[in-house]
Amino acid sequence: MPAYIIRRLLYMIPIVFGVLLLTFLLFNVVGADQAVYRLAGNNPTPEILDDIRHELGYDKPLIFSIDSQFVTHVKKAVTFNFGKALDKEPIIDKLKNGVPYSLALTVPMFFGIVVTSVSLAILAAFYRGTWFDRIILLICVAGMSFPYLSYIIFGQYFIAYKYDLFQIYFSPQRSIWSNAALPILIGIVVGIGGNVRFYRTVMLDEINSGYIRTAFAKGLSTRVVLFKHLLKNAMIPIITNTVLTLPYLCLGSLLLESFFGIPGIGGITLDAIESRDFSVISTMTFIFSILFVIFNLISDVCYAFADPRISFD
Amino acid sequence: MNENIPLLSIRNLSTHFFVEEGVVKAVEDVSFDVAEGKTLAVVGESGCGKSVTALSVMGLVPESAGRVVDGQILFRGDDLLKKTESQMRRIRGNEIAMIFQEPMTSLNPVFTIGNQIVEAVKLHQGIKGEHAWSHAVEMLRKVGIADPARRVREYPHQMSGGMRQRVMIAMALCCWPSLLIADEPTTALDVTIQAQILELLRELQKQQNMSVMMITHDLGVAAENADDVAVVYASNIVETASVAAIFEEPLHPYTQGLLRSMPRLGQKMERLESIGGSVPNPLHFPQGCKFHPRCPIGVSDQRCRTQQPQLREVAPGRCAACFHAKGYGD
Amino acid sequence: MNEDNINSFQRSSLWHDAFRRLRRRKFAMVCFWIVAGYFALAVFVYIAESIDPTMSAINWKEQLGQGMEYQRPSLCSVKTIFGTNFLGQSTLISTLYGVKTALAVAFAASVISIMIGVPLGAAAGYFGGVVDDIVVWIYSTLSNIPWIILVMAFAVVLNDDKIMGGKLSGEPGVYLAIGLTSWVGICRLIRGEIIKRKESEYVLAAKAVGCSNSRIIFRHLLPNVFHIIIINFSLRFVSFIHMEVIISFLGLGDANKPSWGKMISAASSELTRGIWWEMTAATMAIFVLSLALNIFGDALRDCLDPKLRMER
Repeated sequence: MPAYIIRRLLYMIPIVFGVLLLTFLLFNVVGADQAVYRLAGNNPTPEILDDIRHELGYDKPLIFSIDSQFVTHVKKAVTFNFGKALDKEPIIDKLKNGVPYSLALTVPMFFGIVVTSVSLAILAAFYRGTWFDRIILLICVAGMSFPYLSYIIFGQYFIAYKYDLFQIYFSPQRSIWSNAALPILIGIVVGIGGNVRFYRTVMLDEINSGYIRTAFAKGLSTRVVLFKHLLKNAMIPIITNTVLTLPYLCLGSLLLESFFGIPGIGGITLDAIESRDFSVISTMTFIFSILFVIFNLISDVCYAFADPRISFD
Repeated sequence: MNENIPLLSIRNLSTHFFVEEGVVKAVEDVSFDVAEGKTLAVVGESGCGKSVTALSVMGLVPESAGRVVDGQILFRGDDLLKKTESQMRRIRGNEIAMIFQEPMTSLNPVFTIGNQIVEAVKLHQGIKGEHAWSHAVEMLRKVGIADPARRVREYPHQMSGGMRQRVMIAMALCCWPSLLIADEPTTALDVTIQAQILELLRELQKQQNMSVMMITHDLGVAAENADDVAVVYASNIVETASVAAIFEEPLHPYTQGLLRSMPRLGQKMERLESIGGSVPNPLHFPQGCKFHPRCPIGVSDQRCRTQQPQLREVAPGRCAACFHAKGYGD
Repeated sequence: MNEDNINSFQRSSLWHDAFRRLRRRKFAMVCFWIVAGYFALAVFVYIAESIDPTMSAINWKEQLGQGMEYQRPSLCSVKTIFGTNFLGQSTLISTLYGVKTALAVAFAASVISIMIGVPLGAAAGYFGGVVDDIVVWIYSTLSNIPWIILVMAFAVVLNDDKIMGGKLSGEPGVYLAIGLTSWVGICRLIRGEIIKRKESEYVLAAKAVGCSNSRIIFRHLLPNVFHIIIINFSLRFVSFIHMEVIISFLGLGDANKPSWGKMISAASSELTRGIWWEMTAATMAIFVLSLALNIFGDALRDCLDPKLRMER
């Protein structure tokens, strides 16, 4: 297994390089002028523009030099020394402060979504073709069709403002859980629709297979058949898919954090988008994709554990 | 046990599937008995309703699509159709066990075979922990798996098809059922393995004194293994008799056709005969006798085309559903 | 019959069968007509605008009330059915205009993502080797960046920017951002299908009679996976619409034209003052369109290729 993980880690290198190349192209080549003009304000003189260029490092050669922009870009990423944001705070500090809040929001959200949608999907698959199944499916499709922003805005308005069941906005005095409860709830509601639908197709593929019939023929109860025999087989596509839902969690944390004022990574990213702070956005892109690659690796390892037919070599 | 009550007695069983295009009458008014310690072969072409009959007995007809609409399934005189789901669970795998056609997919790929056998033992026999595992090893030895103590911890994908079917048999027999339903147990296997598995089944049947309901499309398998035969055509039983009688003198034209399409030793033939035409679509069964379009007699007979013959005793111990069968009467 | 004809015969019966099955699903057909209605509205707004942007039916700038006065929804005139926003402009007309913005962006983004994804996927699957390696590298890079961050990054950069001499702003920035980042799914699907099919008899037969590679790809392989492109198109469209809403909500879209995202952005702060109608109008417009598209897309997939499992 260590050999497998090392091989997978080596496979990450071109991907990470690709991400760095892309962020470089986006923010240093295509977007450079935009950043400069934004900072310069109205009617800048060429001198001011040159100053800003120099300050942001845009005056250096792009690629072919020892201190070229690309080399600096890669160096920053490899050493995890991302420099400073526009407000002069080191980006790494911003990250360190934001991570706990983001985790407090996304981890419960993640497990909430997976547990609820897997259970619902199993039930829907078992009662396939009945009214129960159809209603679940319709609710899921309707849930997926409702705009994300409206979930957040209406949720915040009705649940927190009108009926005062939760906190409307982050306040540092209260515990993180009382601050994060409503965003977590909204995140789960949003995430369920698509997941239930996907897991249901996965379950349907499995529920008609021979081993389910065998398990019933043994006299096992429905509960044991579904939650032991079916679930362990369906685990394999489920694991792969949960990794695919992670980017949606990022979306969740982005908008949720900014609406509820939670000072996590998502909120920081949105602020950076608003103020066109390219070094922060570039760093976030890099960090998120590293996380994503690592989660992919974890999912592949879990995959091999869940399915005895797959070996690590 | 009363000699006169058969172990399993199916009376007028009808199982229907409700699909978008209409009602599929997969099993229609089927009656037969399985006697204590005997083997009944249910013979018929694929899609004629044999497997659905078996699933009806087990109470495993997929709920979303179909259900038993009529009839009785008497097991030791009790109607299984009247039992609750939890009562049925105590019978399934315990008193009535079933093995399936595809050993490749019938075992759960993500559990060891030991785990899957132990599960049934624990559930029905109340044996716990190590004892259940040693019982599983014992069962594997019984079905002829070499080195069972090691094999018991392996996964299905590490075994060949024949071995998996042996595991299925071990799993079915681990609770000493009194009735085993074998749904085409050898169809998916090589010919040499087929013979071994059937041999094994016969041996175990003698050892454990159980009844077997063997579902097959192969009259040869029936001839070698069964005591009685029920021939099914298009959801109906067309003939029941002892094996000897049916090979001696088949009464229903369909049975006759099946026999003629079987190769026989010592008979030189240019080519095997086959029954002309094809199995009717279960959504649109023909009027009258369902076999009449393919029947040499029925195709021109007015009565066969309009009236459906009922299964009726034509001689002691044998029944047929054909107006032209010997002894059927008018 | 030559193999071309057989091929096209099989294809036409696939489509024929699918449409026959589709027509039997009443609910899906209702959804289809709803989607068609939205498209008709978008085309109407587009044409009306190009004739005369001040035409009263689409002139969202026209102020119905005085200054900052809000008008509640009322039936006294068509334009006030959904009330007005804080500038006194009709919510109905803004919503209507939003149909055009959303559909234009989603459509252009779909076209871009198909134009990139399909040829790349086909080439990677067909030629294999280095071409495949490079394409797989590009799309694994893209797919390893969470989509939302990627789109945001593109949208930020492509917003109000000079690229290669031309100025890029508003709608084109948005659909370029979505299109350039979302071709991975279709590319992966097509690559897989082509790999599966390139050893099939009809391709070998075409090779044997000396067809060129491009002829094999465009005449023989792609038409056989066309239904996958259609299914992907119909299911992806919804997420493009939602993406457009979020991007314009964040102020990265066209600042001068109404869009659902901008409406939501403006209305979200008004909600606490009891101004619920603008938010509701935009939400319902998105909801009905997405629901209809989702249901129709699912039905289409069931009819064309029930086995196809789409990544979300």
